[in-house]
Amino acid sequence: MTSGGALAGPFENEVTLSFEVNGRRVTRRGPGHLSLLRWLRDLVGVTDPKYGCGEGVCGSCAVQVDGQVVSSCIVLAAQVDGAKIETASGMCGDDGSLSGLQQAFHEHHAAQCGFCTPGMLMAAASLLEDGRHRSRDEIREALHGNLCRCTGYGPILDAIEAAQAGREATGPRAGSETKLVAG
Amino acid sequence: MFVKPFRYERAEDLAHACEILRSHGDGAKAIAGGQSLMPMLNTGLLDCEVLVDISHIDLEDVGVRDGYLELGGLVRHARLASDSRVANSQPLIATAARHVGNARVRNRGTLGGSLAHADPSAELPLVMTAIGAKVLASNGSEVREIAAEELATSFLSTQLAEDELVVAVRVPVLGEGWGWSFNEITRRLGDFAVAAVAVLLRTAEGKVLEARVAAGAVGKTPIRLGGVEAALSGASRDELAERAQRLDEVDPPSDSNASAAYRKKVLGVLVRRSLLEAFDRAGVGESGAGGADAAESGAGESGSGESTDGSGRGEGQ
Ligand code: FES
Ligand code: FES
Repeated sequence: MTSGGALAGPFENEVTLSFEVNGRRVTRRGPGHLSLLRWLRDLVGVTDPKYGCGEGVCGSCAVQVDGQVVSSCIVLAAQVDGAKIETASGMCGDDGSLSGLQQAFHEHHAAQCGFCTPGMLMAAASLLEDGRHRSRDEIREALHGNLCRCTGYGPILDAIEAAQAGREATGPRAGSETKLVAG
Repeated sequence: MFVKPFRYERAEDLAHACEILRSHGDGAKAIAGGQSLMPMLNTGLLDCEVLVDISHIDLEDVGVRDGYLELGGLVRHARLASDSRVANSQPLIATAARHVGNARVRNRGTLGGSLAHADPSAELPLVMTAIGAKVLASNGSEVREIAAEELATSFLSTQLAEDELVVAVRVPVLGEGWGWSFNEITRRLGDFAVAAVAVLLRTAEGKVLEARVAAGAVGKTPIRLGGVEAALSGASRDELAERAQRLDEVDPPSDSNASAAYRKKVLGVLVRRSLLEAFDRAGVGESGAGGADAAESGAGESGSGESTDGSGRGEGQ
């Protein structure tokens, strides 16, 4: 676990922030001007949220903050001190097993280079959370803020539809996304 | 994303926030949801010495009192889009909020932030201009009321003083006989609008009695379309299309999103569509009913239930 690295201080504007990241409490000291994305990647060492655009438009940095999906690149870390943060890697079981949604992405080849995948997973998990059935068009529309430069989106939509069908067959809270949606 | 370092200060309450802003003058910026400010900081369009976090101040009330809907400055777009009191009292606001950015933006971005940022293509300043909202601004000790239409003075500029914050917005509840419509054209869903239109229309016996028509993304601020409004008085449904073309005073900008000529062309189309839609809703009688339905069907993540065709829905996302 890094706790400085590229960001070795001291900085004049340091703050101490404490988050619960994927169920683990992590307190770090660092510059107060960091986005949540940089805080997670550079200070906490959670690198599945990716830096794509830094402007909130591509979705590759998507995480959940207290249960709501946000672009972590345009959330100031200090503003959400104390929050519960869930990232795509938090969807895995403790033994590293894949969640139903992750498994569906795997089976439908919904990741090529994989750069957009953590954000796509977060967007999909947030969408399916309320258990309401979404048509393919609704899923497509809900993902309009997540860019993928590889797949052409078809396989991603296939995967999300399959994960939705899987949940509808086994109950809305089945699979290890329960961990993610609990908050 | 190599942001020029700044100091972070969390405001405990409104007076504290205004005090910090006052003491640092130009060097301080207020951050609420940060959905416009953070991209500007990340891309180096803006820097500051101190960033004052106002998001923990208690300004998130939504209430209906004495014929007015009052919205706290820190109410987030997702809430505007899903709260039934908003949809029932001013469906234009709920609908416009569903068009803002993407689900992630709507989860963080705030009403006051959008108004203070004053992007001429933003949805909320536009509908507030159309509705004739009152913006309440406070410097911590005094509150003043600003007509939404006069809040923005130019591109990304407002008449707010350095130490003033938008604490609330007050709009009249939509009355009997009124219809409404919001439409925008974007190159891709969630992009900045190429042109956007908000309409409120009151009809009786098949004729327009009163109209408020405003447009976004076609000037330095959202603008009222005075020529169209004046021409509408007494118009029947069949006359709306022709009167929608009274756009002489509009002089849109050209930028990477669209040329001035294209903007003006689609503006005419949007005004026509919006007038027809508002007219038909006004005729239905119960003015709030359409909005409540729309809110229910669009209350989930999908956000943009009512996007105009031509917005590129379903293309490259
Ligand atoms: S990196 Fe955050 S949205 Fe693109
Ligand atoms: S798989 Fe490469 S960007 Fe989506």
